[in-house]
Amino acid sequence: MDPRLPALLIESSAKIALIFFVNLTAVAYLTWLERRVSAWIQDRRGPNRVGPFGLLQPLADGIKFIFKEAITPPQAHVVLYLLAPVIIFVPAMATFSVIPFGPTLELFGRTIPLHVADVDSGVLVILGLSSLGVYGVALAGWSSNNKYSLLGGLRSSAQLISYEMALGFSIVGVLMATGSLRLTDVVTHQMEHGWNILWQFPGFLIFLISAFAETNRLPFDLPEAESELVAGYHTEYSGMRFSMFYMAEYANMITASALAVTMYFGGYHVPGLQALNLSPNLAAIVQVAAFAAKTAVFLFIYVWVRWTLPRFRYDQLMNLGWKGLLPLAMAHILWVAFIVLMGWA
Amino acid sequence: MHLLTGLVIVVMAAALVRAVAPGKPILTAIAGGIAAAALLVAFHQDLAGTDFWAGTIGFLAILSALIVVIHPNPMVSVLSLILNLICLALFYLLLQAQTLAILQVIVYAGAIMVLFVFVIMLLNLRAEEGLRIGRGVQRWGAILGGAGFAALLLWALRHRQGHAWMEPGRHAAEFGTAGSLGGLLFGQYVFATEAASVLLIAAMVGAVLLAKRRLD
Repeated sequence: MDPRLPALLIESSAKIALIFFVNLTAVAYLTWLERRVSAWIQDRRGPNRVGPFGLLQPLADGIKFIFKEAITPPQAHVVLYLLAPVIIFVPAMATFSVIPFGPTLELFGRTIPLHVADVDSGVLVILGLSSLGVYGVALAGWSSNNKYSLLGGLRSSAQLISYEMALGFSIVGVLMATGSLRLTDVVTHQMEHGWNILWQFPGFLIFLISAFAETNRLPFDLPEAESELVAGYHTEYSGMRFSMFYMAEYANMITASALAVTMYFGGYHVPGLQALNLSPNLAAIVQVAAFAAKTAVFLFIYVWVRWTLPRFRYDQLMNLGWKGLLPLAMAHILWVAFIVLMGWA
Repeated sequence: MHLLTGLVIVVMAAALVRAVAPGKPILTAIAGGIAAAALLVAFHQDLAGTDFWAGTIGFLAILSALIVVIHPNPMVSVLSLILNLICLALFYLLLQAQTLAILQVIVYAGAIMVLFVFVIMLLNLRAEEGLRIGRGVQRWGAILGGAGFAALLLWALRHRQGHAWMEPGRHAAEFGTAGSLGGLLFGQYVFATEAASVLLIAAMVGAVLLAKRRLD
């Protein structure tokens, strides 16, 4: 066995545990943020009873979810019904593993890179894992044996496939500029040549819209449209199983935001940081904080959009995806290819 | 290989107990879990070898392939087909073809199988009566084909040249990366790649034409 293996295992496990903890906490506080911001937008107060500013509300919600009765419909396919929340939750959490959230940290005489895995085809890993999440939604809808759930599941799988195309194509621009599928390369390339948002704004816009659709957020939340489908694919779920769908949705939001930051906003890059002459570790911490702050801005935009725009009709959704975003994304690829070919980038 | 053999025996024993006495699933699960944990502690050095992982993935692949054919519920069949495709991707990963592995997940498990699930949901298929055993020519053909395939497998296993293809460090660091794969696809094999894409477009246009004709 390789003598470096135990240290590497400990290091990786620590990073995985850290990311898991931070992500779950962020998910819990996103529910709080969502309710506070929605209240603010609608001129209400929002949850403000549990703890200061209602900050302990997620904790109370969690306890409530755990003690709720977990109902299994008698006509449901039990195994698939129980498996569906797991299938949707695991990829949502796992996608974060390839996103670099900081440079390297010097600890105990080791240089620790701040990402769990630096995979050569990191972007593909994210796309592949997130494409597996569809099965959770489709299965939840099918196994519940409920017509609203089934319709929600069907809609959702159609929507996710449609917007996956536009999402994938919008990223191609960034990848062509970088010349690599490795996410750390994408970040270092932006450090040297400026952020991609400066000249790839159309691609960013397509990415953002598709990411909204991929995470089933308003204005694309047709899979769970409450005015027509009760709650869509998770109508029959209750208790902790129900909350797993919500946790997966918010975890997907976090991943999508982090990916947008990595792709277009320089990742953990802080312009002008080198001029300050900080010690390497302090600089790394500042950069991690910058990454978190950039991601938080996107999360706020998610919430903001949800409480601002109404839901699309189904045909509008399909038209936008196939006839709007997809051709636009292809035109954007041509444009980026032209610029890269001319050597202007 | 002791670990893998032991784990397979534990899983089979648990399945057997479950079939004979279906009353106590939790007890069976706990006993199986303890046995598996004991095996893991006893033979933990197996975990570092590729043999163990190749064997485990192979076992899962065969199991899921069997379920695809045998299970009466079409949705379970499709799901275990997805599991099977993921096992194939893991095999690519063991062979250090990492880009191919993730492409396998995206294209087959992520895109094509979604359409299978979609169609099953739309058709609202009920559980079929399970595996039907054919008669006459069908049965004898299956027996002959199966025996032939088993003989071929045995022959291949006897004449295999070790398994150095999975040893770490056998390939260059570049092997299996997106860059080297792309270089091959659009360099040495560019004609085959482009021919395949033209073929796919032709098939797509044909499918659209057939679907449209039925409308009027």
